[in-house]
Amino acid sequence: MNRALKRLSLACLAMFVLLMINVNYVQGFESNSLAAKAGNVRTFNEQFTYQRGSIVATGDGGETPIAESVPVKNSDSTTTTFQRSYPDGPVYAPVTGYDSIFGATGTEAAYQSDLAGTAPGLTVHNLISLVTGKPKQGATVMLTISPKAQQAAYSALSNDGGHDAAAVAIDPSTGAILAMASVPSYDPNQLTTHNGAQLNQVDKQLLDDPSQPLLNRAINATYPPGSTFKIITSAAAFSTGQVANPQTTIAAPQPLQLPNGNLLNNDGDETCGNGQPQIIEAFWLSCDTAFAKLGINLGSSTLKSQAEKFGWNSSSLQIPMSVSPSEMPLLSDSSLTGMSAIGQYNDTATPLQEAMDAAAIANNGTLMKPYLLKEIQAPDLASIETTSPSVLSQAVSSQVASEIGQMMVQVTTNPAGTAYATANPSVAGVEIAGKTGTAQNGINNSGLNDAVFTCYAPYNNPKIAVGVMVQGGGFGADAAAPIAVKIIQAYLGVQQ
Amino acid sequence: MTAISSASAARPAAESAVPMPRGRRSTELAMLIFAVGVVLFAYASVGLGLNGKVPAGLLGYGLAFAVIVGIAHVAVRRWAPFADPLLLPLAAMLNGLGIVMIYRLQLSGRNGNPGNEISTLSSSATADQVLFSALGVGAFVAVLAFINDTRVLQRYTYILGLVGLILIAIPAIPGMPNSEVAGTGAKIQVGIGGFTIQPEQFGELALAVFFAGYLVAKRDVLALAGRRFLGIDLPRARDLGPVLIAWGVSLLVLFVESDIGTSALFFGLFVVMLYIATQRTSWLLIGVLLFVGGAWLSSKLIGHVGIRFDVWLHPFAGSNPTDNGYQTVQGLEGLGAGGILGTGLGHGQPFYTPLVQSDFIFTAFGEELGLTGLMALLLLFGLIVQRGMRAAMTVKDPFAKMLAGGLSLVIALQVFIIVGGVTNLIPLTGITTPFLSQGGSSLLATWALIAVLMRISDTARRPAPQPIQEEGMTQVVRAA
Repeated sequence: MNRALKRLSLACLAMFVLLMINVNYVQGFESNSLAAKAGNVRTFNEQFTYQRGSIVATGDGGETPIAESVPVKNSDSTTTTFQRSYPDGPVYAPVTGYDSIFGATGTEAAYQSDLAGTAPGLTVHNLISLVTGKPKQGATVMLTISPKAQQAAYSALSNDGGHDAAAVAIDPSTGAILAMASVPSYDPNQLTTHNGAQLNQVDKQLLDDPSQPLLNRAINATYPPGSTFKIITSAAAFSTGQVANPQTTIAAPQPLQLPNGNLLNNDGDETCGNGQPQIIEAFWLSCDTAFAKLGINLGSSTLKSQAEKFGWNSSSLQIPMSVSPSEMPLLSDSSLTGMSAIGQYNDTATPLQEAMDAAAIANNGTLMKPYLLKEIQAPDLASIETTSPSVLSQAVSSQVASEIGQMMVQVTTNPAGTAYATANPSVAGVEIAGKTGTAQNGINNSGLNDAVFTCYAPYNNPKIAVGVMVQGGGFGADAAAPIAVKIIQAYLGVQQ
Repeated sequence: MTAISSASAARPAAESAVPMPRGRRSTELAMLIFAVGVVLFAYASVGLGLNGKVPAGLLGYGLAFAVIVGIAHVAVRRWAPFADPLLLPLAAMLNGLGIVMIYRLQLSGRNGNPGNEISTLSSSATADQVLFSALGVGAFVAVLAFINDTRVLQRYTYILGLVGLILIAIPAIPGMPNSEVAGTGAKIQVGIGGFTIQPEQFGELALAVFFAGYLVAKRDVLALAGRRFLGIDLPRARDLGPVLIAWGVSLLVLFVESDIGTSALFFGLFVVMLYIATQRTSWLLIGVLLFVGGAWLSSKLIGHVGIRFDVWLHPFAGSNPTDNGYQTVQGLEGLGAGGILGTGLGHGQPFYTPLVQSDFIFTAFGEELGLTGLMALLLLFGLIVQRGMRAAMTVKDPFAKMLAGGLSLVIALQVFIIVGGVTNLIPLTGITTPFLSQGGSSLLATWALIAVLMRISDTARRPAPQPIQEEGMTQVVRAA
């Protein structure tokens, strides 16, 4: 019988080994994915028992907290839990997003595991805290945002007549995002309550609001770029050699008869210069017929490939939040190509894209990948992750970039330039290179024009590139340019 | 072997002077002290974790627990001095840790709110569990004191078989004041006075004795006298009949009582004991085929078995996490929350798992003591099984061999079925975790089981009786 008993012992051993392998699998390997399961009540409760990491804005050199966890007394008044707080909620809402008990958005969602302290990079730090008896704490997420530029952007946008609008500022040499503001905004502090019923109510109210306050217009809404697209058309013209240099004359008929027989007029039906202007003059005057004709000559596929070098038509950009693609579709109809060359028809862009267009020109034609994260710091200040700037693409050669820069600076410095009145050096206190856009809307252009302005400054030593879009704002020079000017002034510290 | 052969007379005299094998009772005592220490440390840790201070009852409860296991130790010294020294400390540590976990769960209340009592865990749960432990040790002492040789049990083979069947069938008898185990749907309890008893826990033991006694008596005919069919040696129906009927009836009753875990346990026990008795692998094959087929069939035919299979395969799919699979998912998420090192006693949230004090107590340990703690617990159980098997292999009496092997298997299967179930290795079937789960019947039965194993191991390790007279001398037989 001992042979059978021996086999039985081995079978029992096998059963225990199976159990041990299984608990090793569940607790050793599945632990993180189980914690991340939707509706995990333990994860849900645990998130309030320790301090979640802060989000700080470091673009001005200091550290300005824009999201932090503060201890609050529970109703039993003996225990405390941590609640999220956003010191300047509406201003930074497009950047921070919110962290509620039902879910998170924005930076809160993008760096969830770091802020919660569960990221793999924090394992060792957590272990040390555990051993030394320090309370568990999340990592600090440091962003490239400049509080000065962000505050200026938000207040300028808010004071612009209640239009839906957004502005983005980036450092052209690195791609670091300095400001990202969107109006109408919301206060993320409304969503930090731990009371599920109350949160549901606020959540529903925000979702049902027709003004869509939760929408981050800076990266997730697109508007027609209008004449700012002439930067791309010019870039294609110089790069292909179609136009030799800014002083080359180009045809600017008034009106321009499109291949389909329709007539395209310049704004106010004005003749562009003498009818055969240099491209630089057509640019500062923003002559539609000249650039529409140029675009027809270049062809849709040339324009499209040039636009894509500036980052258009890409749905893969993440800053780390996903950016909606700015669209410039390939057109077979040359009349529509002419419209597309001046930023009309089906062209649409995010405010971030507008800033990227200017940034590429400012950075000698090299487009840097936009990013928000400067660094993630463990509670003991050890660096967990830092962003090193990376090149997204070479939009144009440095020669072409400098030629387009020459044209852009004329827009604000030449008394006939479209943005001279609102952005000239004596108004702005700094030399700005920019391009206005006033996109027509609606059937037979019955809607209000969307105002667009894309620019960088200072012209000689670019530090900041800005894109502003104001839906229904009117003229780009009047509605959008002053907002860009305020952001630039705030960031560069120019007193005016 | 009882007759002294002439060959033994030729043994050198020096061998008889070999010292008596030591009983290793001091080793047992040292390990018992260690086990009690671990339990008290865990108890203090619960208090520190939940309230930030050492529980006031540490000394009192500590003394009580030490006295209880001390009595068991003294009983072993008195009635089974040569028994395995590991079994008692292993049992004591597991029992103690179970009490600590029940205390911890009772303190935190429903959903972690001390004001809300867990409906299935009364406010006297810890005190009851301590009382049951004392009763369990009482059963342990009684078994050691009254059964001084397991062959006594063999005499009552058929009576015990009948008793076992009756015990298992009691809750199914119409008119019995039976009740469901809260939240499981298993009708295996009967209420007597203020207490509920699960008679099947004792029925299990009785039937294991019956299987062992019957199969030992009939093993030769079972193995030899029969026909060969499809390459398998089939025993004669009249030899196998009674045991098959006993097994079939027990299974039927269990299905009526909706207790799948225990019927799986019986099935495994029966097939394996048949295998040990006959040494025919064909029985194992038939058993495995029958089991897999039966499990598959019942998953298709019986609604709630099908649900268990679905939850097992896809615990997180569809509405499972909030509906049928809620308990499994809570258990798994608890294990996940524990990770490698656990949250520490009193720091986790095991109270979200339904029935965490009984079926799912293993996941509570996993959450608060982590993978490290679970590996230790599994090793403790594994050691009990291994020591039981060792006793089975060293004891000479075939009945004791069968019984020790069968009882060790009962522990192994019980642990496999419940731990495998709550960790989602196999479909979940409710069954108590030996020593850990809340409940007196299970504790009493398991303590009695350990006592039988120790009795057998005492028999196995007991040195052969010394010859009465000097060897080599001529025996003088005087006529009266």
